Amino acid sequence: MLLELRDVSKRFGGLQAVTGLSMTVAPRTIHGLIGPNGAGKSTVFNLLTGVLPLSSGEIVFKGARVSGLRPSEICRRGIARTFQATTLFRESTVLDNVLIASHLHAAMAFVPTLIGTAAYRDRERSVCTGAQGLLASLGLADVADQRAGSLPHRDQKALCLAMVLATAAELVILDEPLAGLTAQESADTMAVLRALRAEGKTILLVEHDMRAVMGLCDVITVLDHGVRIAEGTPRDIQANPAVIEAYLGAEESRA
Amino acid sequence: MSRRPGLSPALGFGLLAVAGVAVPVLTRDSYYLDVATAMLMNLVLTLSLRFEMSTGQLNMAHISFMGIGAYASALLVTRAGWSFWASLVAAPLVAALVAVPVGRIALRVSGPYYFLITFAFLEVLRLFFNNSFVDYLGGPSGLVEIPRPHPLPLSGGAIAFTGKLPQYWLMYALFLVAAAVLIRLEYSRFGLVASAIRQRDLLAETLGVDVIRYKLGVFVLGSFFAGVAGVFFAHSHQVLHSSDFGLEPMVLLVVFTVIGGAQSVWGPVVGTLVLSVTSELLRELHHYEILVYGAVLMVVMLVFPEGLVSLPGRITRALDRRRGSKARAVGARVAP
Repeated sequence: MLLELRDVSKRFGGLQAVTGLSMTVAPRTIHGLIGPNGAGKSTVFNLLTGVLPLSSGEIVFKGARVSGLRPSEICRRGIARTFQATTLFRESTVLDNVLIASHLHAAMAFVPTLIGTAAYRDRERSVCTGAQGLLASLGLADVADQRAGSLPHRDQKALCLAMVLATAAELVILDEPLAGLTAQESADTMAVLRALRAEGKTILLVEHDMRAVMGLCDVITVLDHGVRIAEGTPRDIQANPAVIEAYLGAEESRA
Repeated sequence: MSRRPGLSPALGFGLLAVAGVAVPVLTRDSYYLDVATAMLMNLVLTLSLRFEMSTGQLNMAHISFMGIGAYASALLVTRAGWSFWASLVAAPLVAALVAVPVGRIALRVSGPYYFLITFAFLEVLRLFFNNSFVDYLGGPSGLVEIPRPHPLPLSGGAIAFTGKLPQYWLMYALFLVAAAVLIRLEYSRFGLVASAIRQRDLLAETLGVDVIRYKLGVFVLGSFFAGVAGVFFAHSHQVLHSSDFGLEPMVLLVVFTVIGGAQSVWGPVVGTLVLSVTSELLRELHHYEILVYGAVLMVVMLVFPEGLVSLPGRITRALDRRRGSKARAVGARVAP
């Protein structure tokens, strides 16, 4: 398994956001995490990427424990994410956004930077070429010099994805990658995600568009009130009575 | 690195270097040399303060690290018998070393809390200079009789630093080194990451930037250059007083930097040059000087918050709008 959550819990004061969650993500799959509003999906993402500390349990990535590490170290180990709201460096250019995200593969040594050694310039040039290639593959080549904050929504979404890919993380965590997109734009993004899976990436995503989730994911985990209520293929999930109850609500079971 | 609008770094640095040479060519008057020397020293301070502000942190104790460099150098030379030239390297390193634990504590917080912690450090250190180790630091009457920079032995002869002119050249050389390093960093990956941290530190962190370590590095390097300015200050003024490193000179540094424009590496240059000249012209006002600064700061913040350095761009854009309002309408991908 690429990623393993072992009995993970998170409390915010009196609120139990995630309770004893165990799940695994297999390599080279698209894994969906779904559930009604407030089910704890975003909290799980924040725990996975070190943005929030766990209350208990542990998270293991490629056989090594990553819970308790700083977000930057977790990214270094190969987990990168997008945020629910399109989160970018809005004042920087599109290309600079990707260059910042290429941080881990770029030259940062102090003295070579000052002197501008040949090795330093070669490295910077190759990072820049890589970033431009990435922008081209996501249809952003034409806007590379624009300020990220001035882009239309679709392009901002695509840029978020480009930045995550620029980190070269094996596990890509996407918080609502299709939110606010038109049907055509959604279809394009889903094609990109499938292509990424074919290239060997593993994708874990939260998404509210159920049709997209069912069409895209290999495995789906369903959360409700911070508890895992089901896991399986899209077909299993659609037939699961607990899931239907959580989504449609059964009055007698909810206090 | 992608192209950024504004002055090219090499051109800007070249202009500064030439302007620095031009001063003693144009005048040997000791008053003008004094003003120009002070300006170069203030430039080292504002450039390094802006360097720290580029990660979004306003360090109100910046001038304290100048003080550490100044007092450390004075003591190394007068008490330990060091050469000025050894102290010129060692004393800024002392400032940088002190910056490590101070930064580790202060950088746990950001925004107003960071401002307050560094402000507290400024006051604590000023009181320390004033009240502690009076035998060594001179206490309230100040630390006096600090020698001029020692003669610099150079192939056969030696350059003495007793006159105004050699001191100007020394400060000019120190300024060139500081400016070269800080401008170079701004236009490298360091500047790019600093701007990322200033805009959204959490996003930078999740993209693999060790934000705390990065901020600490910036803090330590900024303090080193403040220390360099401090060494020069100690040996050119030859007297140190705790109030030299108190709130008022610190506020002036912030005013210089912010009025010029803290977003750009050229902002502190513009701010320091313009305000140093203004301050000489306003000499008559003396006690009201700080009042005038306050008023100017408010006006600048209200009218162009990105500082004087943003003026050319604003004027160009305004002209473009008037000229090209028709032509622009067909442009593709016009930002909303």
